[in-house]
Amino acid sequence: MYIIIVGCGRLGSVLSMELSDAGHNIAVIDSDSKRLEALGNGFNGLSVKGIEYDSNVLREAGISRADYLLSLTSDDNLNIMVSLIAKDCFKVPRVIARVNEPSKKSVYELLFIETINPTELISYIIKSKIEGDRK
Amino acid sequence: MKSIIIGGGKVGYNLLKTLKERGYDVTLVERDEDTCRRIADDINTDVICGDGTDIDVLKDAGIKKADIIAAVTGNDEENLVICQIAKKGFNISKSIARINNPKNIATFRALGVDRTVCSTAVITNLIEYEFDRDICKIVQTFDRGTMILVEVQVNENNHWLNSLVKDLNLPGECVLASILRNERVIFPRGDTQILLNDSIHIITNRSTFPEIKKLFHNGGVQYAKQKK
Repeated sequence: MYIIIVGCGRLGSVLSMELSDAGHNIAVIDSDSKRLEALGNGFNGLSVKGIEYDSNVLREAGISRADYLLSLTSDDNLNIMVSLIAKDCFKVPRVIARVNEPSKKSVYELLFIETINPTELISYIIKSKIEGDRK
Repeated sequence: MKSIIIGGGKVGYNLLKTLKERGYDVTLVERDEDTCRRIADDINTDVICGDGTDIDVLKDAGIKKADIIAAVTGNDEENLVICQIAKKGFNISKSIARINNPKNIATFRALGVDRTVCSTAVITNLIEYEFDRDICKIVQTFDRGTMILVEVQVNENNHWLNSLVKDLNLPGECVLASILRNERVIFPRGDTQILLNDSIHIITNRSTFPEIKKLFHNGGVQYAKQKK
C-alpha cells in the first residue's frame, strides 16, 4: 500500500516507522524539518518538508498514487483542510483524519471526513479497565 | 441584514466598523479574550469570544439566521473550515473567505469556496500597479482576475507608435478593445494607426499579461540601443 502520513509528531512518527517496517510505502509530510530528521536512518520511506496542504508538497509526496492519506497533525483545521484536498481534489481512495478537540468531531462529520478520535478511544479503554476491575 | 465576522484582527475590526456604520446587524467572533474586550469597548456590537471553527460557537453567533459570513482570520485553514461549515452545515450561500497565502486561491476554488479575497495578492497588485503605471497597467479585473482590462499609454518611446493595428505582434489570448484618443473612443480595425498619446485598452487574462508587458520592456531596450 502507498500511504501518506501528514504530521510527524508522536503519533505520525510511530505510525510511519511501524507501517514502513511492515512493508508499506510511506511518505511523511511535516512543516518542521527537525521532526522529520528525528525519524532517523531506520526509516526508509520518503519524507517531505513543506506546508502540509500545499498541492505541490502533496504531489511531491506522491498523492496521485496514494491508497491512503492519514492526516494526524495536532491542528484540527489543518487536518480538515488536508483531508478535503486529498478527498475532493486528488481523489485519494481512503482519507482518515485525527480528531484533537472532541467537540470538533461534528465538523469532520459534516464534511464527510472519516476520523479516529484518540481522546474518545483512550477514555473508552480506561473506562472499560475500571469496569473490568470491578467485576 | 444579519452578518457574522470571524476574526478580529485589522481586517475584521475595520470591516466590523464599516458594516456597523452602514447599519448592518453584525456579530464578531474572535478567539483572543483581550482583543474581544478591546473591540467590545470600542464598538457597540455583539462580540463572542471563541473558536470560529466550532459549530456551537457559530450557533451562538446566530449562524442560523445569518445572511453573510465573512471569515477574515489570519489563518487560511481556519477560514476554509468556517466557509465549509457555513455552506454545508447551514446552507449559507454568501460566505466570503480571506486568503493570506495567494497559493491557496486555487485550492479554495477547487473546494467550492468561490468568494475569496486574497489580501496579499491585492496589496501586491496595487504596488505592482504603482511600479508600471506609465507603461501598461491593469485598470480592471473581472471574475477575480480571470479576465483583465489593460491600459497602454503610447508615449514617444513606445515601439507601437505609428504602427497599424494589423501589424502588431500580439499574443494569442488578447484583443484590442478600444483606443482613447483626445477623449474620443476609437474601435480599432486592422487599418487603424496608433498615434502619440493614445491610450489603448486590451482585454486579456492574467497569464498573458506578463507577455504583453514584455512587449513594451523589449521596446524600451531597443529604443535605448538605437539612441546610443
